Amino acid sequence: MSPTTTRRQGPTVALARTHGPLDGDGIKEAVYRALDLLDHSPPARPQTVAIKPNLRFYWDYSTGETTDPRVVAAVIDYVRERWNPQARISVVETDASAMRTRHAFPMLGYDRLAAEKGVELVNLSEDEMLEREVNVGRRSISLPLPRTLHEVDLFISCPKLKVGPYAGGNALHITCTLKNLYGCIGKRRKVVYHPHVNEVIVAVNKQLRPHLHVVDGIVALGSRPARLGLIIAGTDAVDVDSVAARVVGYNPARVKHIRLAEREDVGTRRGLVTLGEDIRALARAFPKRSQLGFKLTWRLQLALLRTYARLTGDAIPPALD
Amino acid sequence: MLRIGLLGFGKMGRMRFKAARFLRGATVVAVADSSRRALEAARRAGVPASYEDYRELLASPAVDAVIITLPNFMHEEAISEAARAGKHVFVEKPLARSDDECARIAEAVESAGVSAMVGHNYRCFPSVKRLKRSLDSGALGDIVLSTFEIVDGPLAPSLESRPVPDWYMNSQLMGPWLLDLGYHVIDLFRWFFGDARVLHAYLDRRYGFPHEDNAAVLLESSGGAKGTVHAGWFSKLIFPSFDFRVILHGTAGFASTDQYTPANLKLHAAVEAAKNVLRRGTGRRIRPLSYTFYYPSYVEELQQFVDSIREGVPPPVTIGDGWETVRIIEEIYRTATLSPALRELAASAQRELVVPAERM
Repeated sequence: MSPTTTRRQGPTVALARTHGPLDGDGIKEAVYRALDLLDHSPPARPQTVAIKPNLRFYWDYSTGETTDPRVVAAVIDYVRERWNPQARISVVETDASAMRTRHAFPMLGYDRLAAEKGVELVNLSEDEMLEREVNVGRRSISLPLPRTLHEVDLFISCPKLKVGPYAGGNALHITCTLKNLYGCIGKRRKVVYHPHVNEVIVAVNKQLRPHLHVVDGIVALGSRPARLGLIIAGTDAVDVDSVAARVVGYNPARVKHIRLAEREDVGTRRGLVTLGEDIRALARAFPKRSQLGFKLTWRLQLALLRTYARLTGDAIPPALD
Repeated sequence: MLRIGLLGFGKMGRMRFKAARFLRGATVVAVADSSRRALEAARRAGVPASYEDYRELLASPAVDAVIITLPNFMHEEAISEAARAGKHVFVEKPLARSDDECARIAEAVESAGVSAMVGHNYRCFPSVKRLKRSLDSGALGDIVLSTFEIVDGPLAPSLESRPVPDWYMNSQLMGPWLLDLGYHVIDLFRWFFGDARVLHAYLDRRYGFPHEDNAAVLLESSGGAKGTVHAGWFSKLIFPSFDFRVILHGTAGFASTDQYTPANLKLHAAVEAAKNVLRRGTGRRIRPLSYTFYYPSYVEELQQFVDSIREGVPPPVTIGDGWETVRIIEEIYRTATLSPALRELAASAQRELVVPAERM
């Protein structure tokens, strides 16, 4: 398929799949094809670029949990070839409740990527934080966000395409680019935000607006990991997440954080044009997971366990306590 | 009543504390941990005394025995000091990081004349015990080939939102990587067949750890039983999934722990929970944690430790057992073939050592 070069009006999301084996060359070709279809150019020649993958715990791309470093490598190549060969590029991430970036970078292959591509790995938890209040619905939310991401010329979000996670009783349905920015919050114990996770996701996205989103669906995660070989690219977080939601089998209008983001003007789904792969065919290939069933059975199991422990005086292992 | 002090109130400390609640003839009276948050958790759990420095706990005459669940690099000092203070010792595996540390521990324990046991809880798994009984009964004949597999580790976290502790990711502090999971299955080979020598070992890494994260080892006992050991840290399996099995192939038959492991863990949990409700309802003792299929092992081996002290007999797993397992692991590292990825890692570490020296 040759890339479309016509500039289109209105929001656009491009989808491309790898042909053949899921190796570095195939992944690079799919990333380039998606970005060429999108036909996007940054407003100015970017001098500084930050790429934010999704690194969750220490599980690598093969599990469907974290962004494949080969996708990030292809994005780096694209930025240098098409926009600025001298751009200073950083791959950024923050610590999380159960993950430390200093371990995640080497564990997940990002140290090697940095050495090969000559980019910097930055733990944004050590960055200067800017904190200001934003309103999401009736809730006023204040979050520490890294200064670097406010000041960088080009900010690219590289999320993973997956369903879940189960955050403090809130089934998120889908984790894509809106949720990836939740990982920019400078606080380590992000579990404290779980009770209002949808509002917090939107609050971050009202303050940090990536210029480009390149979604890694090479190995996507549903009820199990699935080798979809898919790249989704777009410039509007709501559009991109809406398309991703349809791929994983959800109606975006029923996904709370997408709906909330649209209501709060993070983006809009109106007039959205998708290019490239057929979403319905992708949705058929995706191994769907019932969030409602998962949420209900998990809550029920924990409730039963606690009741049992109270009745009998038995212990609950720390893993479940 | 044996009065127990708990040294370390991290993940394993809390597990041991929960297990100790069910001990007959013993109770936890004190906890020591350098973390104030951990001590606060211990106080909330009803532990009467808490100390920031474990030496203060060891000085207390109100403590008869200690359970040590400190990081590996603290084992030698803590065991030796506890023994010198006259406390009986139960230490979480591994006994220590090296043959030398084990030798010094053995000397300290022997001079003090206290009882000391190493926690090898896999020996108390119901499925392992049934397999061992089958082996010992002769039903399988002579074992010629066997398989010992375990894949778990820091990529298979609990549901707690806590990072893996830094010492666990530092091979200087943790010791050789096989001391983590490999230790369990190597100990089982020894327990099943009496002894072990290393025929071949291959180490590799899948993830970006600064050390190997998977190993294939071929062991042989002096009786001629051979066993392949597979250990790995690369799976994200989450509780209650558990990638562990032992398979024995003998001249008269074969058997596997899989035969004795519940096929449906949730159904198993429901049935065992119902049994405990019935026991409680009829005034009998419950079987703690039996709704999980491996956590009762923590209670069982602590009870063995307590009983051995009360009866004045040696514990079922001695310092010698822990030491021998550490020695075999050192033999594996001395003889192992490294994968290209590990050879490159070793060469790079060597270059880093050489460069500063050349600059001097």
